[in-house]
Amino acid sequence: MTTRRPNLLASLIAWPLVLIIAFPLAWMLLTSIKPAAELFTRTPQWLPRSITFEHYTRVLTETPFLQYFGNSMILAISTTVLVILVSVLGAYSLVRFRYRGRETLAALVLFTYLLPSVVLISPLYLMLVKVGLANTLASLVAAYMSFALPYALWLLRSFMAGIPEDLESAAMVDGASRMGAFVDVVLPQALPGIISTALFTFILAWNEYLYALVLVNSDEARPLTTGVMNMLISAFNIEWSLLMAASVMMSIPLVILFAFFQRYLTSSFGAGGVKG
Amino acid sequence: MPDAAAARPPGAGALERRDALLGMALIAPTILVLGAVIVYPLLSAIYLSFFSIYTPTLEGHFVGLANYRDLLGSGGFWSALVTTAIWTVGTLTLQILVGVGMALLLHQNILFRSLARGLVLFPYFLSTVVAVLVWRWLFNDLYGILNQMLMNAGIIAAPVNWLGAMPNAMLSIMVVGAWKFFPFVVIAVLARLQTIPESLYEAARIDGAGPVSRFFDVTLPQLRDVLTIVILLRTVWDFKEFDLIYLMTGGGPVNGTRTLPLIVYNQAFGLNQMGMAAAYAVSMMLVMLVFMLAYLRRANARSEADSAA
Amino acid sequence: MVQVVFEKVRKSFGATVAIPCLDLRIESGEFVSLLGPSGCGKTTTLRMLAGLEQTSSGSIRIGDRDVVDLAPAARDIAMVFQSYALYPHMTVAENICYPLKKRGVAKAERATKLADVAALLQLGPLLDRKPKQLSGGQQQRVALGRALVRDPSVFLLDEPLSNLDAALRAHMRAELIELHRRLGKTMVYVTHDQLEAMTMSTRIAVMRDGVLQQFAPPAEIYNHPANAFVAGFIGTPAMTLADGLLVREADKAIVRAGALAIDLPQALAASLPAATPSAITVGIRPEDVAVGAGPWAARVRLVEPIGHETIVFLDADGLSLTARVTGSAALHAGETVAFDLRRDRLHLFDKTDGRRLATVPSA
Repeated sequence: MTTRRPNLLASLIAWPLVLIIAFPLAWMLLTSIKPAAELFTRTPQWLPRSITFEHYTRVLTETPFLQYFGNSMILAISTTVLVILVSVLGAYSLVRFRYRGRETLAALVLFTYLLPSVVLISPLYLMLVKVGLANTLASLVAAYMSFALPYALWLLRSFMAGIPEDLESAAMVDGASRMGAFVDVVLPQALPGIISTALFTFILAWNEYLYALVLVNSDEARPLTTGVMNMLISAFNIEWSLLMAASVMMSIPLVILFAFFQRYLTSSFGAGGVKG
Repeated sequence: MPDAAAARPPGAGALERRDALLGMALIAPTILVLGAVIVYPLLSAIYLSFFSIYTPTLEGHFVGLANYRDLLGSGGFWSALVTTAIWTVGTLTLQILVGVGMALLLHQNILFRSLARGLVLFPYFLSTVVAVLVWRWLFNDLYGILNQMLMNAGIIAAPVNWLGAMPNAMLSIMVVGAWKFFPFVVIAVLARLQTIPESLYEAARIDGAGPVSRFFDVTLPQLRDVLTIVILLRTVWDFKEFDLIYLMTGGGPVNGTRTLPLIVYNQAFGLNQMGMAAAYAVSMMLVMLVFMLAYLRRANARSEADSAA
Repeated sequence: MVQVVFEKVRKSFGATVAIPCLDLRIESGEFVSLLGPSGCGKTTTLRMLAGLEQTSSGSIRIGDRDVVDLAPAARDIAMVFQSYALYPHMTVAENICYPLKKRGVAKAERATKLADVAALLQLGPLLDRKPKQLSGGQQQRVALGRALVRDPSVFLLDEPLSNLDAALRAHMRAELIELHRRLGKTMVYVTHDQLEAMTMSTRIAVMRDGVLQQFAPPAEIYNHPANAFVAGFIGTPAMTLADGLLVREADKAIVRAGALAIDLPQALAASLPAATPSAITVGIRPEDVAVGAGPWAARVRLVEPIGHETIVFLDADGLSLTARVTGSAALHAGETVAFDLRRDRLHLFDKTDGRRLATVPSA
């Protein structure tokens, strides 16, 4: 089905569809650089008559956007680090060790993967209030564990299962302890998987909305998702230009990660995201 | 792998025991974390559902099964279930159709394939917030580009209220849901397509099968496994989707798109009835559980029938 | 110099018993092959020796230590895996030095040992490459080098040649024999290829379904197989095994197989236990069937010329025989030929349990 010559027929069918799919994002970008006046026309105004970055400046200077951005960064990075640390060890345990209850654990992890966050918001809210963590980034990191950790375990488990056991056996015969073999052989081999998982976790944490909505109420700890929705939508006046500018800026880390690491992100689906 | 620990006679296998202990030590952090943020809250939710709790003060009293009786009897649960089912089926169908279609196209050697792939996949990695903002702007009745294009082309005479009227609102969120989530289908199907051996197609071609035939007789059977899983995952995830619907329509117009997750949130933080919210959540989970079990049983039976055949 | 002793070793996986009771004593410096069909337990046995599988009960001694509770790293063994198991992210040099590093060997000494092994196995030009840049044969040599560099007491090899093409395999067989001769180390070798086992081993342990069938030097296994299974497993083309009836008359013994009535030679008849049942299995190797002249006749079913010899498949009234003829034979399928059997080379086995009944003095 694939030949070395470019398939022109498929290209002619595919590209219009691709452009339609990409259109909303293009429109977001265009709206964000048009002067506000140009938005309120009756006929479609495709290209901007003049380009302005005033909306970006306004978002950055007149709103807590940067604070939200910083919060999201801290949140996403902390979540990712914690998740990776715990899930790398956990996945290795699930894949390479034999102990009573291992299969049950694996099944439970799978189950939690499918759990609705909505079920957990009330009790988590109660719990975090009781512990005194309400309204902090820490509370969000804790809450994010509930969906990020099972996902990471699922992905990493698949990646690690694909590493030939012979390699660890060889390392152990060569003189490594169990954990020595893990560090010398499994980690380097699992590195692409770990990177994929880290990227995915970062993105999940960056984009999360519901827990942020429920658990955090003040700007100090508010991340971008709730922050952006919060600051620019008032009942009577929705400033679309600002919203589009904020949306673009909010997505920049994602674009960067996606552009450079697309390979990692999509390989994790093949290896782990679906099989398993 | 068989669980060898059970076969061990006592007193033997110090090495094996050390190994098992190490294994348990490695999974301990996971168990602790998941225990704290999933198991305990989950059990809590079930417990809470038997109470009536006022959210702002977190004070409550025991009401037994009253929440469940109200929920099942009020009709709110059932209509929300129907709404959720409609939303799920609708957006899932679109996701699968467009997803498989795009995967097939991207599997071909098209011009600038990597760029096309990147553009197609990107919506999945965007924040729902961004997706919603963009689409609400597109759907804006007066200034949104959608209405403007359609009116300009003469297809409609007056602006359509995409989000404030039914069935438009439901259709709109289905479309946005499809746009946001179909790349998951694309990635999974594409990965599978790339593992189908070329020799199968060559054999089919020699046997005289044309392209349509080859799709139905070679490609589709090979995709069956991955599609089974993808459909299960997407059904579950679409069913429990909160962010997208809440931010697009808030459940409106007049509960037209109020799915179960939205009711849970609304009960807990809108009506301040945390106990009731928990009852809704638990009921929702039961529905999902029943679905998953039924689905898996059917999928297993199917694959057993295949291997027996 | 260390011997390897398996004593009453038992291995079960859950409810399945893979190895019921293994007793095997490998002397110091021997090259022992564990030979058998897939699933016979040979790899499991090797892995138990390595410490990669745990015994369910029983002891394994390397030298005078019982190693059953020792981690693989503590057993002073080296192993070459069927898949080579070279560390993909390390260069050849790093792969080979890895075991030394794990034992805390100093850098200078590591370099010396690396050089020695590289010279021995001609790995010099490959040292900076990564495994995926090497051919199968080269990878195999690196795996060998990694095992050699540590100078362990026992070498374990798990079908190391099975992924190589035929020519390379023959070459590596010779190299391994030479290596064993030079080092004089105890080597335990798992294979399903009898040619490897026969050419390389001081003794062969034939296994089937987890049970040791025979543990003896290659010649003895070939000439005096302990049971019908070993007889049929060793030797290509396989020995012809057929149902037979033993008839005793006074001093004589006659074996009836198919339409043939074979007078047993005196020595053979005399060695039969008195209580031998009349239903037996009789076997004859292809090279002991002489085609062209003899008291019996058979129809030629198939002729396979191999070049230096020809394999002839005969049918004597329903009894299928395989015969080996040196050179090319002017025979065609459908022809009838006369044939004879070297009666002193008949193998007789009990029909129920397959064990050997008579012992012919070695040829």
